[in-house]
Parts: sequence; C-alpha cells; structure tokens
Amino acid sequence: MISLQGVSVRYGSEGEALREVSFAADPGERLLLLGANGSGKSTLLKVLNGLVAPTVGVYRYRGEPITPARLRDRTLARRFRSEVVLLFQNPDAMLFNPTVYEEIAFGLRRTGVKDLDARVRRWAASLRVDHLLGRAPFRLSGGEKQRVCLAALLALEPELLLLDEPAASLDPRTTGWLVDFLADLRVTTVVTTHNLSLAPELGERAVVLSQDHRVLYDGPLGRFLADQELLLAANLAHAHRHRHGDLEHRHFHVHDWD
Amino acid sequence: MLGLYLSAVVAITMVHDLGALAATLAGVLALAGREALRLLRRALLTVALFNGVVTATYLALAAVDGRVSWYYVGLINLRVVLLTTLTFLAAARIDPFRALAFSPTLTYLLSLASSQALALRRTFEDFRLALRSRSPTPPGLRDRYRHSAAAASYLIQKALADAGETAYTLRSRGFFDD
Repeated sequence: MISLQGVSVRYGSEGEALREVSFAADPGERLLLLGANGSGKSTLLKVLNGLVAPTVGVYRYRGEPITPARLRDRTLARRFRSEVVLLFQNPDAMLFNPTVYEEIAFGLRRTGVKDLDARVRRWAASLRVDHLLGRAPFRLSGGEKQRVCLAALLALEPELLLLDEPAASLDPRTTGWLVDFLADLRVTTVVTTHNLSLAPELGERAVVLSQDHRVLYDGPLGRFLADQELLLAANLAHAHRHRHGDLEHRHFHVHDWD
Repeated sequence: MLGLYLSAVVAITMVHDLGALAATLAGVLALAGREALRLLRRALLTVALFNGVVTATYLALAAVDGRVSWYYVGLINLRVVLLTTLTFLAAARIDPFRALAFSPTLTYLLSLASSQALALRRTFEDFRLALRSRSPTPPGLRDRYRHSAAAASYLIQKALADAGETAYTLRSRGFFDD
C-alpha cells in the first residue's frame, strides 16, 4: 500500500530530519513507528501524508509516487486526501470550525458525499461525541478534542490512518478507550509512539528510528522489545542505579516518557 | 552593525526629503546586491496593507479639507518601504546574539524570545499543514478565514501562557531583584 525508498528529508537551517528511510506496508497492517524524541517520527508521518516532500528518495502510495507536483492534480489530491488521513499530535492544530458538527462535516463537504448528515452522526456516535455536536470544538477537553478529530478523519472512511502520538496528552481512562477503539478499526494504521508499554496494543510490526534519523530496526515488535541492545541504541531504554535499603545496583530500564 | 542600523533608523525618521529617501533606498538595495529585487518585493508585500490603509485614510481626511499633498503621500510611503527594506537587510546580516553579547541580561532575554518564537512558528506550521491535510479540495475563503482566526486565537493564548511561565522562571532566577 505504501512504500518509501531511500527517503531523506532536510529542513533548511534545522538540518536532516530523516536519512535514507526505506520500508513498505501492506493493506490492513498495523505498523508502529518507534523512536526517541527528535528521531523524525512526526516528519515521517508528514511524508506519508504528502505534507512534507522527500529531499531525496521516493514515496509511493498504491504504486503512485506522491510529490508536490503530482498533488497539484486535483483528482489525485482529492483521492489521496480522502484516503490518507493524519491525526496530528496537537488536536488544536486541526480544529477551526464553529461547531463539532461542522468540524466532522468539513472534509465530507469537500468530497461531495450524499449521506453527509448520516455519516457525521454515525461517526460522532462511534467516537462518543454525539452529545457535543452543537458545541464549539475549542471549548472541549483534550480527550474530547482528540475524539472529534478522529471522528472528522474517520468520517472520510480512509484507507490509511496515520496517528502521531495519539495517547500523548490523554488521561489513562481515555487512553484505554482509544486502544480498544483502534483495535476494532478495520483500516491500515501507522502509529508513532515512544510509550513502549502501550506499543503492543497499537501494532504488531515496528519500524524503529535511531537518533540519527535512520531505520534502526524493521520487524516484529516483540523481537525489538526483547532486544536490550536495540532498545538502548534507539534511546528507548536506559540503565541506572537503584537503591534497595543498603544494597545498590545498576540495571536496565524501560520507561514511558509521556 | 546593530548600532549602525539603529542610527540609520533614527536618521531616516528625521529626513523629510523625498529625493534623499529615494537615494537611501537605492543605496540599501545596492548593499543587498543580487538579493535586491527579492528584498524589495518582500518589503513591498509586507507594507502593502499598512501603506494602503494609511494612504487611503490620509487622502480621505485631506480631501475633506481640500488640501491633498501628493509629496506627503510619497514621503510617508517611501519612508515605510525604506525602513522595512533596511530592517530585512539588517535582520539577514546581523547575528543578534553577537550584537547583544555585551549584556548577559539582554542575551538571556533574547534566548527566551527566540525559543518562544521558534515554538510558535512550529505550532503555526502544524496548523497550516493540518488544514492542507484535512482538505480533499482546496479550502474556500470562509474556511481560510475561520482557520486563520482559530490559529491566531490559539497562538495568542499559547504566547500568553508561555509568557506567564517565562515570568516565573525569570523571578525564580532573581531577574527582578525581589
């Protein structure tokens, strides 16, 4: 469904964000993008969403190269933007309509679907925001905003759902709900996280980015989580001293960084 | 370099001769070298709205009095264009951290301001990309207006909250001597 071949991204003064990244994903896969802060996970999602163009390399969606020039073709852009959607880490960046109803309807209006009202209400109910349809999005709590954004994206019935640290700003209860909700979705997902305890709930295969922005590992998540060397190399684990009464020792640790 | 720029700004605000301002603008553009046209275009685009409003207001008020001075219209417009062009040129040439290195306090304030500006720029970029990401077809004027208003409101609130935090850090580090 998607493939990247030797993709590098360089931001002018800020330097390289991705280096020679290559991987592919098939329809129905639940792929995890793991890496420490600043490793390039968010940039990679923006490449997959056609928002950031590779400086070098090729990104293909369903076999078609996705470039700024090709996305100027309105037919392709309309199909691509309906089929590939991105939940930004900060939901506030996505919300600008006067009501939750309008927020969910925004993308649908631009695709000209016939059953707009039914879809808005169906996805609002699925995401448990149907009681908020008349409210202003900016007045909602963080968890509610996240659910409204997801409803707006899923109402388009996309093929590929990209999620940037979806649990980063959620409380434990909402995080639990989100994990269950995503598990039931029948859509290809690519999720970034640096929360290793949550990772097994979000996907089966991991692509791990190193701090020099390269792919450090691509394979089953379980094998990565069991490999101490790799976890340390990815800066997703560390060793430090512990005191137990008079006894002090040093051992390996995996922490969640939210 | 910073001193030179500030002196030039003061001098330009005190000159009331159209020819002198035009000659100074030519000099500034000459200093910009190959970037001159791009610099002038950027300055003109930046001041277009401001100059348009000021000129229209002046002309409306002067027309009521029956005393329109085209020389004065040229003077205020050229002065704003010159100051903006000079500021863009100086901003590209001056390293503010080096310029303010003589004062640890000013350097500290500049660091805080720079980090805030960078964070706000990244947030704004996310707003811009999110609108593009969510739009299967290009958004209409009404959507763009709503989006700009939402982004501006969010950025102002974020800037205010960050400024509050910054004030705490300054106080905590003894900046206010209290």
